[in-house]
Amino acid sequence: MTVHHKIRKFFFPSLTPKFLIRVSLIALSAYLFFGYLCIPFAIQGISMEPTYHNRGVNFCWRLHYLFSEPKRHDVVTVRFAGNKVMLLKRVVAREGEQVEFRDGKLFVDGKEMEEPYVLYPCDWNLPPRQVEEDHIYVVGDNRNMPIENHHFGQTTKNRIMGVPLW
Amino acid sequence: MVKIKYLLIGVLMVVIGIVVAITLFPSEEKKVKKQFHLLSEWVSKSTEENAFTMLQRMKDIGSLFNAQCELKVPDQSLSGTYTREEISTYAGSARSHVSQLDLKFYDFDIGFPEKGVAKVTLTARLTGRSTTGEQTDDTRELECVLKKIENKWLFSQIEVVEVLIK
Repeated sequence: MTVHHKIRKFFFPSLTPKFLIRVSLIALSAYLFFGYLCIPFAIQGISMEPTYHNRGVNFCWRLHYLFSEPKRHDVVTVRFAGNKVMLLKRVVAREGEQVEFRDGKLFVDGKEMEEPYVLYPCDWNLPPRQVEEDHIYVVGDNRNMPIENHHFGQTTKNRIMGVPLW
Repeated sequence: MVKIKYLLIGVLMVVIGIVVAITLFPSEEKKVKKQFHLLSEWVSKSTEENAFTMLQRMKDIGSLFNAQCELKVPDQSLSGTYTREEISTYAGSARSHVSQLDLKFYDFDIGFPEKGVAKVTLTARLTGRSTTGEQTDDTRELECVLKKIENKWLFSQIEVVEVLIK
């Protein structure tokens, strides 16, 4: 078989039943993998700056919490009604813990938390509140905005879709 | 060979029949979805929109709502029951403050708890630019109830679901 013939066969394969079955299986696997397990998404917004930049591209890995619970400092995706639009946030407290912001510093159960990922200045003040059972508390890394303009708070664990791959 | 030809023609006719039936007689789910598509189209605004179109859109938006529509919005003074005229006026006023607006709906979950009632959970994303040049980007999960009145699905209740509670 000549090189020319091989190239031609690669780009224009014969539509044999075997080939069609192989293509269908690949298409189905890709649909299931990228539709349900490793969902591609584009980041829109600056709430996770500087960790994740606006217009960045990533994948939501859904099996991450199959056998474990979200931990503090994990970055997670939070769903709305489905997985077409999700929020990218960081877990700062778990159920039963008390969250508070004092002069931009995060306090959990009265202890000041070290947050190396927060690089922009923040002046938030939020009175203490308890994270309810089966909930986690999530906040974005970019807190350099009025507290009213930042979408954060506690959400049920079943809204956590997964984690970004990188 | 002749048999295969007739078989193929038969299959093709069945497929065309199904497509025509789906197009001419849409399911109730499709009719409900259509109301959301109309709402999205009429709420959205381009920079070239003139005053006549704006007035027409205001009227159109009102026609999608029941005579009385309940709005449940957490943490805001907007909650209450509104007439379709009030909704038209409010929508017109809100649209006049923006130069460009885009409303999109995702992840529809449509159920029919009883005859003539549709309950829809979905994600709504509103993006745009105010007349002063400020960028708007807000995503919410909504639970809507539509009632079938005179063969038309009309919005009777819209509730904003709190995904993150500060």
